[in-house]
Amino acid sequence: MSALTKILIVLLTISSIFLCGIVVTYVANADNYRQKYNDLKADRDSLSRKAKDLTKQVNEKISEKRLLEDRLSSEVVSLKAEIRKLEGDLKNVDRERAGLVQKVNSWASIVQDFSQTNDKQLQLLKDTREELNKVQAEQIRERKELNETTASLIEKMAIIETLEAERKRLLEEKTELQSRLDQLLQPFGKVAAAPVPVTPPRDIARPATDTIRDIALRGLIADVDLKNSMASISIGRADGVKEGMKFYVTRGDDFLCEILIIDVEAEEAVGVLELVQQQPRVGDNVSTNL
Amino acid sequence: MSPDGQTRGVKVTASNNLYTAILALAFCVVLATTVLVAYKCYSQYGTIFKIP
Repeated sequence: MSALTKILIVLLTISSIFLCGIVVTYVANADNYRQKYNDLKADRDSLSRKAKDLTKQVNEKISEKRLLEDRLSSEVVSLKAEIRKLEGDLKNVDRERAGLVQKVNSWASIVQDFSQTNDKQLQLLKDTREELNKVQAEQIRERKELNETTASLIEKMAIIETLEAERKRLLEEKTELQSRLDQLLQPFGKVAAAPVPVTPPRDIARPATDTIRDIALRGLIADVDLKNSMASISIGRADGVKEGMKFYVTRGDDFLCEILIIDVEAEEAVGVLELVQQQPRVGDNVSTNL
Repeated sequence: MSPDGQTRGVKVTASNNLYTAILALAFCVVLATTVLVAYKCYSQYGTIFKIP
């Protein structure tokens, strides 16, 4: 065996080992493209199925959405119609409510006026009853006085009758004595002079002169309650004010109204406004005489 | 090239067993590589020579 053959054998062996090592390394590290292909194909197929499913679901959702839109549109239309109807009803109810509120207000004012009038009437009834009681008491007292006066009058009439009989008897005696005296003095040509009585003759009874004078109480408006038509004045029982008295309210030369006193305190009195020509204010003059 | 008589009578022997072993080693390496490549091709692609 020649040396060249040996060298070639060695080189062939080394190169074979080298190349085989390279091939083994490459093959060992080579990717499994078939597996990758299969995996990618499986992924693609699954994705395609998913895409189909999703497309189908999207189409179903779109159809459901359209159905839902149609249904909701119909509901919206019906609800709009119902809203318009309800708005109309609401307007009607508002109008009715406004009318009822106005009626309630008018009735409230009427009831308030009626209550005030009722209170005034009650107060007037109370005052009238008090006055009636006073009048009845006074009537009883006057009847008693009348009875006493009647009894006294009867007694005096009896005395007058007695005195009249006495007077008649005295006149008869006077006439008889006058005739006797005339008979006694006639022979002497004399006539008896007219007697002069010691007791002076009485005149006819006349009514006494009017000695009544005005009270002339004067004061000021202390407070005014126009809502209840009430007012208080600055004078009271200490000044001579009594319940039932009537005061005239004036401002300058203008007559404003009257105040009928219904409650009297020591230093002030409260009354009801009557014949109101102008609204009184605090500080206006009040007096019992104009 | 040699006569039949001579061939029949001469025993063939390797001139050098060392280089024979080296050649055998190279052959074995190539063969193992070939088997490995064939196995890989078959296992990965299902065939050895066809393109799938």
